[in-house]
Amino acid sequence: MPDKSRRDFLKKTAAIGAGITALSSPNAKAGPENILSPDRMGVLVDTTVCVGCRNCEWACKDAHGLPAGNLETYEDRKILETKRRPDHTALTVVNEYSHGKNSNLPVDVKVQCMHCDHPACVSACIVGAFSKHENGTVTWDSDMCIGCRYCMAACPFQIPAFEYDKALHPMIMKCDFCFDRTKEGKLPACVSICPVEALTYGTRTELVKIARDRIKRNPDRYVNHVFGEYEVGGTSWLYLASKDFVELDFPMLGKNPAPGVSESIQHGIFAYFVPPVSLYALLGGIMWITKRRKELEEEGKI
Amino acid sequence: MKKFLVLLIVSFLIFNLQAQQNPSKDHSKLKLDCKTCHVCDVPTKDDPCLVLCPRERITTVYQKAEETSELIVIDQLKDRYGPVYFSHRLHAQMSNMSGGCENCHHFNTSGPILKCNSCHEPNRKREDVRLPDLKGAYHRQCMDCHREWSHETGCNSCHELKKNIKDTKQENSAKKYVGKTHPVVLEPTHITYQTNSDKGKLVTFYHDDHTKKFGLNCISCHKQESCTKCHDVTKKSDSSKKIVSTKKTFEAQHKNCINCHSKNESCNNCHSNKILEPFDHAKKTGWALNKFHINLSCSKCHGVKIPYKKVDSSCSSCHGSWNNENFKHSKTGLQLDETHSDLSCEDCHIDKNYSAKPSCDGCHEGYVYPKQKPGKSVRK
Repeated sequence: MPDKSRRDFLKKTAAIGAGITALSSPNAKAGPENILSPDRMGVLVDTTVCVGCRNCEWACKDAHGLPAGNLETYEDRKILETKRRPDHTALTVVNEYSHGKNSNLPVDVKVQCMHCDHPACVSACIVGAFSKHENGTVTWDSDMCIGCRYCMAACPFQIPAFEYDKALHPMIMKCDFCFDRTKEGKLPACVSICPVEALTYGTRTELVKIARDRIKRNPDRYVNHVFGEYEVGGTSWLYLASKDFVELDFPMLGKNPAPGVSESIQHGIFAYFVPPVSLYALLGGIMWITKRRKELEEEGKI
Repeated sequence: MKKFLVLLIVSFLIFNLQAQQNPSKDHSKLKLDCKTCHVCDVPTKDDPCLVLCPRERITTVYQKAEETSELIVIDQLKDRYGPVYFSHRLHAQMSNMSGGCENCHHFNTSGPILKCNSCHEPNRKREDVRLPDLKGAYHRQCMDCHREWSHETGCNSCHELKKNIKDTKQENSAKKYVGKTHPVVLEPTHITYQTNSDKGKLVTFYHDDHTKKFGLNCISCHKQESCTKCHDVTKKSDSSKKIVSTKKTFEAQHKNCINCHSKNESCNNCHSNKILEPFDHAKKTGWALNKFHINLSCSKCHGVKIPYKKVDSSCSSCHGSWNNENFKHSKTGLQLDETHSDLSCEDCHIDKNYSAKPSCDGCHEGYVYPKQKPGKSVRK
């Protein structure tokens, strides 16, 4: 299967390459067409409710066949003293921050793939191994991946992780919004286990409304910002917090979809193949000059 | 006779029904839309058809903490966990200083206390996700506070796994709360706050002055107290000396004091570089409270309005209505004789100055008080 895909891919690239040279216009978008269903699902993370029990970390590993260990070992809060990132061993992690006003009540923030409405990884993946599904999920197909790790560079949240320690068939690992579970009508594992329902699963449209309503009713509890409502064109996962999101290590992002940026850079470089052609012309020129000099030197010697 | 009896019973029933259908006096006078609380058009006493959540107006009937149920056993997870014993009365007593019953029984109108599951659905996967589900609602009520002071979030801190439970132990956990009330909260005499104010580093707060002398209730200041104020398992600080965080604004920092102490008061009244002495009426105002005045509440002379109004030291500013007829002079330790009791007060107390020596000069030449008295001394 991988071989076949790779051959297909090479064929496709050749065809596309030829196509681009002939047809490309500066406005062309190479990004895949996003199916944005109005009923796409999301999760609202209320960090003011989260108690940092890390049950979601355990449930995620358990649901994805990763070594999870005993749930009771997650009660150790020492691990929260260092900031962690999701990686190939844990697709979601909880980090703890100081509240600022109340030293006894820390702010706990769950980190995982945001499942962007306009995902940069989908756009950056040159073999189309990433897909945005109708229910909002962004998934990755191990069979098609060639391990280029463009997705890792493209992701504005630095989520996709790579199994660097595996020599054979390393995988890109990231939260898949429990695609297999939601297909069967189950809740994502983390949402299901959360003891305080800090994670609310629902349609994104409804969740934005709920989030706005919570801010309106408790202006002292929340900062007036739903992270993910507009960031990089909107994300399926939305966050509420009691303090500025920058202080909780959220990246400062604009409202434009991330692929817009990466695509325009890529298109700028590869438009009409001018930069590559000129590069080769330059190299050719240098080669020709050095060769000519050698010839002259040899002639001079003779 | 039989017919008459039946008629009587029927008429009684009709009357009774009518009475129930008519809203009581309290209801009709309220400017409320009936639909705020009742679903049906004709709510009766037996079936008030009260609206579930969210309710627009909260009109909870408060119970005294001592009258509430002592222990609530939560055993909805019978398959996996043993029951959780919730010491309701203890918690109700604690809530007096932190938001009251509404802290947990939010959106509860008058009438019966609603169960959590009347609003919070038992299923996490549901249509309406505006409210947390039952599991979330329960856990939020407990963990929001408990994680603050115990810093524990593990399931085992409340739920005991069924397989680990021995019968005797379970009985003990249930018995633990029988007849238990919250211990009396110990009051500090004073707390010294360390501030970084340039008007004086130390603020000495005499707690017992405020509660005993000034008659403040606990909840006049401690309304929204965090549980960790008392219950913090990791706290080791000395409660008599506190370092105050200075990140707060002036208003936030002085919030509790400024309710009574005017903002325009001199900073030096509280801020000093040494520990101040407790409140002393004589030192503070130059007017010592005698044995009659010392038992009065502050508001008796200074009015109920805060900040207190100033009162000058002349007796008439409070006792303006006293005259020689209604004032019992014997209270002062001197019973006036017949001739003197008919005089007006000012005849001896010149210019209504009652703290100065009375003058006898007006009538008796060469007479001096207290050598010569206008009556006889009595025991005060």
